[in-house]
Amino acid sequence: MTGRVIVITSGKGGVGKTTTNANIGTALARAGNKVVMIDTDLGLRNLDLLLGLENRIVYTIVDVVEERCKLKQALVKDKKNPNLCLLAAAQTRDKTAVTEEQLKDICDKLKKDFDFILVDCPAGIEQGFQNAVAGASEAIVVTTPEMSAVRDADRIIGLLEAKEEIKSYRLLINRVRPNLIKSNDMMSVEDVVEILSAELIGIIPEDTGIITSTNKGEPIVNDDKSLAGMAYRNVAQRIMGEEVPFLNLEEETSVVAKVKKFFSNLIGKEK
Amino acid sequence: MSDNILKELCNRLLNLFRQTEAKEDNAKDIACNRLRVVLMQDRTNLTPELLQRMRRELVELLSKYVEMDKDALELNFDQEGDQMALMLSIPVIRAKDEEEIEKALAEEDAKKEAETSEEDEELEDEASDEEIGKREEANEAEETESEEDDSEEEDDEEIVEESEDETKEESKEKDKE
Repeated sequence: MTGRVIVITSGKGGVGKTTTNANIGTALARAGNKVVMIDTDLGLRNLDLLLGLENRIVYTIVDVVEERCKLKQALVKDKKNPNLCLLAAAQTRDKTAVTEEQLKDICDKLKKDFDFILVDCPAGIEQGFQNAVAGASEAIVVTTPEMSAVRDADRIIGLLEAKEEIKSYRLLINRVRPNLIKSNDMMSVEDVVEILSAELIGIIPEDTGIITSTNKGEPIVNDDKSLAGMAYRNVAQRIMGEEVPFLNLEEETSVVAKVKKFFSNLIGKEK
Repeated sequence: MSDNILKELCNRLLNLFRQTEAKEDNAKDIACNRLRVVLMQDRTNLTPELLQRMRRELVELLSKYVEMDKDALELNFDQEGDQMALMLSIPVIRAKDEEEIEKALAEEDAKKEAETSEEDEELEDEASDEEIGKREEANEAEETESEEDDSEEEDDEEIVEESEDETKEESKEKDKE
């Protein structure tokens, strides 16, 4: 088995890298793949929280690197899905505790046993980013339709393009708010794609369910009713090579839009 | 009657909606435009000052060949896929006649001659950024001339050769002025 190593990165913090990682990982595992997620955000780990695995961590990636345990011992199995594992970051150490070569080595070893290795990258473009990217051959760039996030994504794309090992990267636009786009108060998905001129892999709508799911330690992809959950499941399918149409978020749902539609119809009938 | 009143009401309401939609400077467009400018700077390493200078130098260069609306010059970077392109748009007011162009070119060559001879003298001194800029400018001008004016090149050279000494003096006088 030779697994695919995909790094999930963004440049800017707070755009939803870790949430994306937890959800895509869970969705890929639900679809029957063997998946391992690596949290490389040393000192600021959070992926364990989103998966509800914070109490099960015994060893971390630093323990593996410093040979206090075997790689397999450090993998924490998901509560629900035995196909899903987490290699947690150390909370007490900083970015220098693991080198690029060591991470590459870990990824190479995991490739033999897993279909997908998802690397959760820390924010920023410093050593933490360089480490996370080191073992990957694909990347997902997470951004939101906000100027600062798009600008940072552009920077990240520039850095990814300069890396020979990264064969492809695709864009995931998170926290999309159809009503704000409709009223021209927010950049649309098309605007962002055009400005960054990158291939799109997913559009995730803003969803308050994300907050509750994070609080419960239960990725939203497990909620079959959630729109964001469905969007993440679609992303997982696209990663697996299936062609899935993007969700139509442009449905008019606001009161203003409905009233407007009502009056337009009325005038149309009058004539 | 009631039909008309209803129609009027509907029209007014629709206009209200249209007005809110027609805001030209909406937040989305502002964001897109600001982002384009900022990304252009990020990607090219060109600060606003450098862009301004590039603009100025382009106007200077092109003015030798055509009379154009200098204030209406538009300079933009366009991204088409992976390829970035520099788009330059200048309204041409009037084509210059041959004499004017030749005169402008002769002046330019003379200036260059004068500069290079001055530079030779100054070579031992530390070269400041500005001088390097000037040299590049001169090189650029040379390149464009040789590309665009192959036919005229020979004539120009002759003129320069004939009037080398004169032009040097002229340009020195200019410098004093």
